[in-house]
Amino acid sequence: MLKKDLNLRSPIEKIIGIDNITTSNFGAVLSRAGVGKTRFLVQIALTRLLQDEKIVHVSLDDSMEKINLRYNEGYTNLVDSIGYVDPQKALRLWDDINLNKVGISYNEASFDTTKIRDYLKSFNKAQLPMPALMIIDGLDFDEDITEVLEELKSLNQEFAISIWFAMRSHRDEALGKDGYPVQLETRQKLFDKAVFLQPVNNKIQALVLKDGNNTNQKFLLEPATMMLVPGNT
Amino acid sequence: MIKDLKRVRNIGISAHIDSGKTTLTERVLFYTDRIHKINEVRGKDGTGAVMDSMDLERERGITIASAATYCEWKNHNINIIDTPGHVDFTVEVERSLRVLDGVVLILCSVSGVQSQSITVDQQMKRYEVPCIAFVNKCDRSGANPAKVARQLKDKLGHNSVLMQLPIGLEDRHEGVIDLVAMKACYFEGDHGERVAVKDIPENMRDQAQEARDEMIDAASLFSEELTDAILEESDISDVMIKKAIRTGVLARHITPVFLGSAYKNKAVQPLLDAVIDYLPSPLDINNEAIDLDNNEESVVLESNFDKPTVALAFKLEDGQYGQLTYLRVYQGSITKGSTLINSRDGKKIKAGRLIRMHASQMEDVEEIPAGHIGAMFGIDCASGDTFVSPSINYSMLAMHVMDPVISLSIVPKDNKAQINMSKALNRFTKEDPTFKTYVDHETGDTIIQGMGELHLEVYVERMKREYQAEVTTGKPRVAYRETITQKALFNYTHKKQTGGAGQFGRVAGAMEPCEEEFEFVNKITGGRIPTQYIPACEKGFQACMAKGPKLEFPVTGIRVTIDDGAYHAVDSSEMAFQAAARGAFLEAYGKARPVIKEPIMKVVIETPNEFQGSCMGLINQRRGIIQGSQEEGVMSVIESQVPLSEMFGFSTILRSATQGKAQFTMEFSSYKQVPQSIAEDIIKQKQEEKKA
Repeated sequence: MLKKDLNLRSPIEKIIGIDNITTSNFGAVLSRAGVGKTRFLVQIALTRLLQDEKIVHVSLDDSMEKINLRYNEGYTNLVDSIGYVDPQKALRLWDDINLNKVGISYNEASFDTTKIRDYLKSFNKAQLPMPALMIIDGLDFDEDITEVLEELKSLNQEFAISIWFAMRSHRDEALGKDGYPVQLETRQKLFDKAVFLQPVNNKIQALVLKDGNNTNQKFLLEPATMMLVPGNT
Repeated sequence: MIKDLKRVRNIGISAHIDSGKTTLTERVLFYTDRIHKINEVRGKDGTGAVMDSMDLERERGITIASAATYCEWKNHNINIIDTPGHVDFTVEVERSLRVLDGVVLILCSVSGVQSQSITVDQQMKRYEVPCIAFVNKCDRSGANPAKVARQLKDKLGHNSVLMQLPIGLEDRHEGVIDLVAMKACYFEGDHGERVAVKDIPENMRDQAQEARDEMIDAASLFSEELTDAILEESDISDVMIKKAIRTGVLARHITPVFLGSAYKNKAVQPLLDAVIDYLPSPLDINNEAIDLDNNEESVVLESNFDKPTVALAFKLEDGQYGQLTYLRVYQGSITKGSTLINSRDGKKIKAGRLIRMHASQMEDVEEIPAGHIGAMFGIDCASGDTFVSPSINYSMLAMHVMDPVISLSIVPKDNKAQINMSKALNRFTKEDPTFKTYVDHETGDTIIQGMGELHLEVYVERMKREYQAEVTTGKPRVAYRETITQKALFNYTHKKQTGGAGQFGRVAGAMEPCEEEFEFVNKITGGRIPTQYIPACEKGFQACMAKGPKLEFPVTGIRVTIDDGAYHAVDSSEMAFQAAARGAFLEAYGKARPVIKEPIMKVVIETPNEFQGSCMGLINQRRGIIQGSQEEGVMSVIESQVPLSEMFGFSTILRSATQGKAQFTMEFSSYKQVPQSIAEDIIKQKQEEKKA
């Protein structure tokens, strides 16, 4: 019951659609630094956790402790958005779903998809359910990372795992000719979903950049919690 | 022994395995003139370090038992307990921390704060032991003491502050800059025994000044005098800084960080100075006991030699002259021939030969006064016993001891081995409260229980070496538990009429899962079961908890509520109600969906980055749950929870998967329900054992 309520309150339900996440291959959340890419990605991961799926959160910036803190905070924000919830119940649910989350912190310099491949292979070897989603946070899209993205694409296909990326854009950069930030513009074919976050009047606006018929829809989020501003879509 | 307790320090040296604890202790003993030659751990000279007194320790390069030793430095007595670094032996660490006043936490300058350091830190917190940190191995490639000091803050929540700066790192590590005296210290001579104090190198002056300002800023929180001196921009004396830091350390609000390389004989002497300057004397610590004659009220012990004696036995060893008992005296003093009472069993003992230890060498003493650590021959007691003067009946507070999670059957090879094995087991169970033994009445096997595979392995090895008891071991077994998962009602009548006095008792109520081991709730009203039979009901239910009806594993987490019943004026008795409760338990248990629970271990693997993926795979294949993984320099740390039953032989598997480059630690975390498929296997196995 609580799970269902939480999923209904999730900003992801409105902005991307929960079913939509399960079918996506590559997704990206774009914004300039400090707007809330990681916190938005955590909400995406939480929706999968609430569906009893496994997720892997790979970060090239945050330590393992920091990743865990971000999830704790994301979950608390989601629970608080409902109103009163029995804290024991909320804690029990968190204890259950938290077991399905693996946070991996890599040094940017030594980040190597082989390690992820080895890890994912072990699920098949042990006949365990494969993680449904992988978050990759901290990859530098200003660099030429074609090879890394190709390898990740092959992981996505080989292991049927959705991958969502944090993509940092820059305030002073002009948009590309298709209206996307340049980091996405050159790689747009790779990504089937993209959401752009930007501050607007003390709120965060989530603009759907790429998602079939939903493209160009706008939503307003509370900057402190990344929850939807009531009645403001 | 020094009677001015301000000049006494009882310290421990704690750290992660292989951080260099034993090497550091060896250097300390060398510089304080207790030994005249330095031996290395697993040394090339084949001797092994002095502190590793057991052959086995020397062979494996790990310190298993806490060897106690003392030394003198600058007119102070320092009693040192060298503690084991492996998690399987944490009871040793816990026992040491119980009797120590301060700890030197050793950290590796390359690996930083490792999993075992976290465990040791938690134990220090539990016993509120003040500590200083020593970042060792600054000569190693990849050494980064500043990073380690930061990790102390981030990972352990210490308010760490650098007291020194390294002069060169890795193979260029020459010495340290003392930020209090603002001098450079170099260590000259074959073994670094001469400390040469010189001016700070020109190129490091600014950096040193900046670090000193930071240190003084942190220290000023603990001294108004220092704060005033900063604000008034007046002279800041060394004494002022040391006093402030000491206050912070005693309150556990600051952790001064020292640096060096014990192996390369760098900066051990300044660390000894720091032990004296910053760690507490017995007078600074508040020790309490409970008064058994006065409703177990807390009593503060005074380090006063004239008061009645209170001493704690914290370690036992079997030597050529009989049992050697290590003691910490908290109040009064133990003199040769004095009479003491063991407050656990009330037995009177006469103190015989008293000694103080230097690893395997003994020095006879006439007296062990309050505040000191020493050892006594010829008394029979268990570890954790309190000895007091006959005029009082105090007990030191119990030590935190965990239940064993693994067991192993052992069979002696012949009759002689059987006798020796009994002697060994008798000794080991007295020495180590987490090591237990019993005879399985069904199989007739002797079972030993402990905290991990290595823990039991070491005892089996010690049986062979120290007691010549050759034994064969069975497969390690996991300590499973049973519990219920849903509420079930019972209404059971025990009725027997077989001539003579009959038996009658009826109990009704419910059984449900709960957090506690066992809870009994009495909701009987109107005297349906007379009050005098209620304890018998509880006893009857509790008796069933020892052996679960499902698979005969101990049962935990059950709340029994009785709310109805009946009795007979003549035929009811305590025995009848106990039997009724047993019947009721069996009746409800099957309906309450019983399940098996297994011990889950917290497993932390430290591996070179290139093996991170495969190590995570190994955890996955063992029904493990990975909680996270973190790259730290060239190494990755993987934290996970894995069922103990899947961890047998893991060290071999990990070695072969990582070319022997990874290591892991394991400690008990919690009990969790066994998945259905595994439960079926356990049931099958149990049935086969029964048939056999």
